[in-house]
Amino acid sequence: MYTVAAMATDLFDGYLPESFFDEVFTGDGAVRPHYEDLVARLRVFTPRELARREQLRDVAFRSAGITFTVYGEDEGVERTFPMDLLPRIIPGDEWSIIEEGLIQRVTALNRFLDDLYVGEQAAIHDGIVPRWLVSSSDGFRREAAGIAVPQGARCLVAGIDLVRDAEGTYRVLEDNVRNPSGISYVLENRAAMTRVLPNLFGSLRVRPVDDYGVILLEALRNVAPPTAGDPTVVVLTPGVHNSAYFEHAFLARQMGVELVEGRDLVVDDHVVYMRTTRGLQRVDVIYRRIDDAFIDPVVFRRDSMLGVPGLVAAARAGNVTLANAVGNGVADDKAVYAFVPDLIRYYLGEEPIVQNCTTYLLWEPDQREAVLDRLDELVVKPVGESGGYGLCIGPAASDGELAEVAARIEADPRGYIAQEVVSLSRHPTLVDDHLEGRHVDFRPFVLSGETTKVIPGGLTRVALRRGSLVVNSSQGGGSKDTWVLRDDVKDDETKDEQAA
Amino acid sequence: MLSRHAEHLFWTGRYVERAADTARLLDVTYHSLLSAPPAEARQGWHDVLDVLHATQAFAEDHEVVDARGVCDFLVRDVDNDGSIVCSVHRARENARSVRELVSTELWESLNTFWLELQSRDLRRDLEQQPYELYGIIRRRCQEVTGTAAETMPHDDGWRFLTLGSMLERAEMTCRLLNVRFAPFTEADDELGFHQATHVLRSASASEAFRKAHRSMTLKNVVEFLLLSATFPRSVLFCMRAAESALQDVDSPDRVSRAMRVLGRRRADLEFTDVAELLATDVHAFLEDIQEDIRRAAELVAVQFFRHTDEFAVFHSLERV
Repeated sequence: MYTVAAMATDLFDGYLPESFFDEVFTGDGAVRPHYEDLVARLRVFTPRELARREQLRDVAFRSAGITFTVYGEDEGVERTFPMDLLPRIIPGDEWSIIEEGLIQRVTALNRFLDDLYVGEQAAIHDGIVPRWLVSSSDGFRREAAGIAVPQGARCLVAGIDLVRDAEGTYRVLEDNVRNPSGISYVLENRAAMTRVLPNLFGSLRVRPVDDYGVILLEALRNVAPPTAGDPTVVVLTPGVHNSAYFEHAFLARQMGVELVEGRDLVVDDHVVYMRTTRGLQRVDVIYRRIDDAFIDPVVFRRDSMLGVPGLVAAARAGNVTLANAVGNGVADDKAVYAFVPDLIRYYLGEEPIVQNCTTYLLWEPDQREAVLDRLDELVVKPVGESGGYGLCIGPAASDGELAEVAARIEADPRGYIAQEVVSLSRHPTLVDDHLEGRHVDFRPFVLSGETTKVIPGGLTRVALRRGSLVVNSSQGGGSKDTWVLRDDVKDDETKDEQAA
Repeated sequence: MLSRHAEHLFWTGRYVERAADTARLLDVTYHSLLSAPPAEARQGWHDVLDVLHATQAFAEDHEVVDARGVCDFLVRDVDNDGSIVCSVHRARENARSVRELVSTELWESLNTFWLELQSRDLRRDLEQQPYELYGIIRRRCQEVTGTAAETMPHDDGWRFLTLGSMLERAEMTCRLLNVRFAPFTEADDELGFHQATHVLRSASASEAFRKAHRSMTLKNVVEFLLLSATFPRSVLFCMRAAESALQDVDSPDRVSRAMRVLGRRRADLEFTDVAELLATDVHAFLEDIQEDIRRAAELVAVQFFRHTDEFAVFHSLERV
């Protein structure tokens, strides 16, 4: 009787992993061990029950005002970022490899940026990265030369985008070491999941992410100028009209620090103050969510009303720390990305733990020719963009689009890279009242400082349109709560600690 | 708190009060002049423009001063900075800039007020039911003020909101007295009942006045609107409230310049003898109070919002 009832309403009925790597099912249709508990609990849900939970979720998100702004549509429309009810699960042993790989990568990126801006530029002298490549990068800022960051934590917060290929191997899709956003969704997704589907957590030991505010504040205080006794930290936002304003306000609240705009700060004699009603209060660390170009009209764009005149000089004088550091954009450059594995070998003397996606450099005549021959099989990306803007996916592009891309590559080979299409892994995702496979990627967050930490979780983005490979929120993507499970080794450690 | 936040709250308070006071003044003027002879009515509307320092701005677009033109200009003219529509718009913009600091209920009451003004046919309202329109505006402003008092913590943010509205109200009561009474100060002590009631009603004070005073003399009316310790629209009452808000946001170990200006004026008022005052130049006396209120507001901006006194370099910039 029970079986029949369960069969009739089984969510997973008719679910096809097809030829993709599926996060939940193996090739022969078996449930992967770390999903067994979840799948069993989901199987007893009726479609009606699920619909009710979806409603609960929508109410939770709308009343919390969790929105982002889409540009280009009627001067910025506010939308909620849809969270799928099925969480993504990463088992502990898989996570420890990711964790190690991310720490390794971010450590190398910090070393590289420090080398470029305050070091000897050894990687250039030793021929690891060509000088012209660095100096032609839009993200490279000569003005940042000589500005040191305590602990060399130039990428204080890094968001490294990972994907899994057809074999299920994690690869780095891109590095985000300027102003990566999305952590607020990680926290809000988890908060919503624990309210909407509390019993799903079941016997799984999901590692918590909700202490991010505390960890971030600690990391920010950790990079304060050594002279600051009890450092004052602020979050600097471009203002309410920015697409990520919600996140800026969220982080300031989580850390219990002021959320300031450029006009709230003033620099006098290379010292930064915020204007408060009790007078000027010295500021030691600025978690700035304003792009380099707008941060200081004295140094960068003179028409910027968002920044603070004199801020960069104050940082150079060592009176304030800007996080993330100015000039990190050179490491986000997608052509520089291709050199990161070499940088890991160079600075750390280690083999990269998580590999890049196969990437072609278009200023190399051989590679360019090969790429132009098979443009319809490859992905072409502009080196300076993020958020999926300007992407051309060969298999989905029309002949006209391909011709246009080819012309742009010929005109500016340094401006683009080409990559093999990664057949992104898929995850069962709720579509109306049943499940379908949808492509996913993953953005974990890494904090640098005395020690480098990876937040156990991250933002799993899901392409909600069938067959789509683009997961960006601005391009019709959604998200999933991501559960990193406590592994047994860690568990033993905890027990030991408790015993001690 | 951040200076920017304090400044936005200060102006939210000022603009809401300005909208309410303007509505009150227009309401009373309109209804008291309905049956007045044309010359008197014209003078009445001139006085209103004077009270609001709007005579010049009005003259730019209007040839004749009449009820319709003045009401239109002061209620719904979006090009007139002092119109009710503009005041409410600015109050809302200021509150929106500190959306994280004001309670949701306060924001909603201000926002729905603004939306209501947007959706109403104000021209028709002014022609057909001005009494109803002014009533709505007054009640909406009271709703905003009341909601703020009930839903915001009474911390520094609240104090700046109060400071803004009290300074605005004190100045408005001064202006009212100044314009209305100047012509009569040289005349007989007895006021026309009609005129006096008009002034008192503009300050929503006629009932409270009657409880406090038996006869409607010039001395009594001036004393009440200037010096009543308990009526919340008297100049003294507003000065005390503003001073108390300022005291609490300031450091306890110093007397700020704004505080000195307000305190000295308040003390002077407390010891004023109205009979004596009426024998001198009332007009100049009221002008001095208004000047002090403006100076206090400017000093508040310097000390709390702009910090111009902390950087010599900014002093030179300000003068350019």
